[in-house]
Amino acid sequence: MQKNLLFKALANPLALTGFVIIIIMFLLAMFAPIIAPYDPDAFDVKAILLSPSWEHWMGTDGLGRDVFSRMLYGGRISLLVGIVAVGISTAIGIVLGALAGFYRGWIDTVIMRAVDIMLSIPSFFLILAVIAFLTPSIYNVMIVIGLTSWMGVTRLVRAEFLSLGNREFILASRTLGAKDFRLIFVHLLPNSLTPIIVSAVLGVAGAVLLESGLSFLGLGVQAPQASWGNILTDGKDYIQFAWWLSLYPGTAILLTVLGYNLLGEGLRDALDPRSESS
Amino acid sequence: MLKYLIKRVLWMIPMLIGISLISFFIMHLAPGDITSTESAFDPKSSEESRQKLRELYNLDKPVMVQYGLWLKRMVQFDFGNSFKSHQKPVFLGYTDEDGNYTKGMIEQALPITLMINVLGLAITLSLAIPLGVIAARKYQKWQDKSITLFNFVGFSIPGFWLALLMMYWLGVANDWLPISGLHSLNYDQLDTWGKIKDSVSHLILPVVIPSVTGLAGITLFVKNGMLDVLHQDYITTARAKGLNEHTVVYTHALRNALLPLITIVGLSIPGLIGGSVISETIFAIDGMGKLFYDAVMSRDFPVVMGILTIGSALTLVGNLVADVAYAWADPRVRRGVARD
Repeated sequence: MQKNLLFKALANPLALTGFVIIIIMFLLAMFAPIIAPYDPDAFDVKAILLSPSWEHWMGTDGLGRDVFSRMLYGGRISLLVGIVAVGISTAIGIVLGALAGFYRGWIDTVIMRAVDIMLSIPSFFLILAVIAFLTPSIYNVMIVIGLTSWMGVTRLVRAEFLSLGNREFILASRTLGAKDFRLIFVHLLPNSLTPIIVSAVLGVAGAVLLESGLSFLGLGVQAPQASWGNILTDGKDYIQFAWWLSLYPGTAILLTVLGYNLLGEGLRDALDPRSESS
Repeated sequence: MLKYLIKRVLWMIPMLIGISLISFFIMHLAPGDITSTESAFDPKSSEESRQKLRELYNLDKPVMVQYGLWLKRMVQFDFGNSFKSHQKPVFLGYTDEDGNYTKGMIEQALPITLMINVLGLAITLSLAIPLGVIAARKYQKWQDKSITLFNFVGFSIPGFWLALLMMYWLGVANDWLPISGLHSLNYDQLDTWGKIKDSVSHLILPVVIPSVTGLAGITLFVKNGMLDVLHQDYITTARAKGLNEHTVVYTHALRNALLPLITIVGLSIPGLIGGSVISETIFAIDGMGKLFYDAVMSRDFPVVMGILTIGSALTLVGNLVADVAYAWADPRVRRGVARD
């Protein structure tokens, strides 16, 4: 079923574009050590703020580091943070949503109230506060983004479980004596998987944006480790002299996030029985 | 209606308690106790401010007592004083013996952020509604497809990057617009017209850029709402009656499609407040976002906790207003509410 969904989605040119963008980004990040012409952290005092040329495709930054190499390594961080953060939030969302949707009653009430409360705290404030009280690092960024963005998945999984819970095949296997664990993991969860995947793909887009914003503010990935966000911080400082420090990392973030959004929406359309393509 | 309102307001109390619990929990995330983080950050002021902190949060008492005392002060709108910024009060100001009023930090910053966000929201809505209607009426035609493409880019573009590019283009390369602050240095010497012009030109970038990034979501929402409504029977009836297309779309369909928008605008409040951190930092505007960022960077705990709580309370109030407005605007809900 999942495989069909992917093929169906990729028939849509926008979704295919998104998929290709993501694959290219992953390949670039994976093979960064082979592709990168320079050491991303190597200073070169003779090559400070050089504009793009054949030697430095994307120019150099204020410390003479090669921007293209830093972009490649920065891509690893952005992609990793996005996926790990969404992995955490999706895992939490599945567990809480399943508990709420399966057991209903007071468990449901408590979990859904927690969702309401979390949704009413401006999430960017929450994330900044938590990171400030801990110390900024790539691990904390992943964990904190994950811990503050599980509410959507929780609602989604709960809704799926509630609507599936009354279907005949669930009643049948309950009658046959299936345990809760089996009902949840063998019957309910696999049947709720497609919308969860769609929301996860779209979630990665949001997480990549969030990480770049945090790194831009100096609260995410810390120097000297490169990330697209913190290259942009330099871009802001040197905006009068070095446009390339702003242009390339921003474009990379835009393309990556666009890729996930296109793929996610394509999957959603393929999933939606109302869309014409199905 | 009144019963609904009372129920809805009472409902906010457990929510506020939950929010305060989370805020309180976050404060205790800091390794060691918060006084050690404070002293590690600023060794000069350590002993004095550590003592102040211990008193402020009653760190010598058990955790539950600490929470109770903190909650008690919060209910009285007392969020303590800032560690930095000359120990200004965090939320509301005070009047000294000479009758001079000193504004609290949030009291000063909040109106600025609210003004920018209200203006931005007005721009977003005035663009998103027509775009959404066009996309729905020309569904699957080139107009709809270009709007969809625009939406995808709008969803994906990092707002701070767009801000940087615009700053470079309009402020640095061309010197058309000022790129930081809310007023020029010579603001006080300008005449009234000059002051207006100065304020407007300072506001353009910080207002327009966040509203452009918020445009995509609302446009999509209006489009989907219109698509749903345009397929309803009463629209067919209206057309069959021979009403012209303009009346059908703008009088019959749009009003119904816009109703859920009230809720969406209410739900977007936390995002708007949170998003102000980045835009206010870039454009050097002294609103809630920049205040929060500065407090975070200097570990000014009372300010951080204060803004976190006030920001969440604002969100609750915003959602309340949206719910009540919805109930008031939609006769179905209004009557349903009146019955129960």
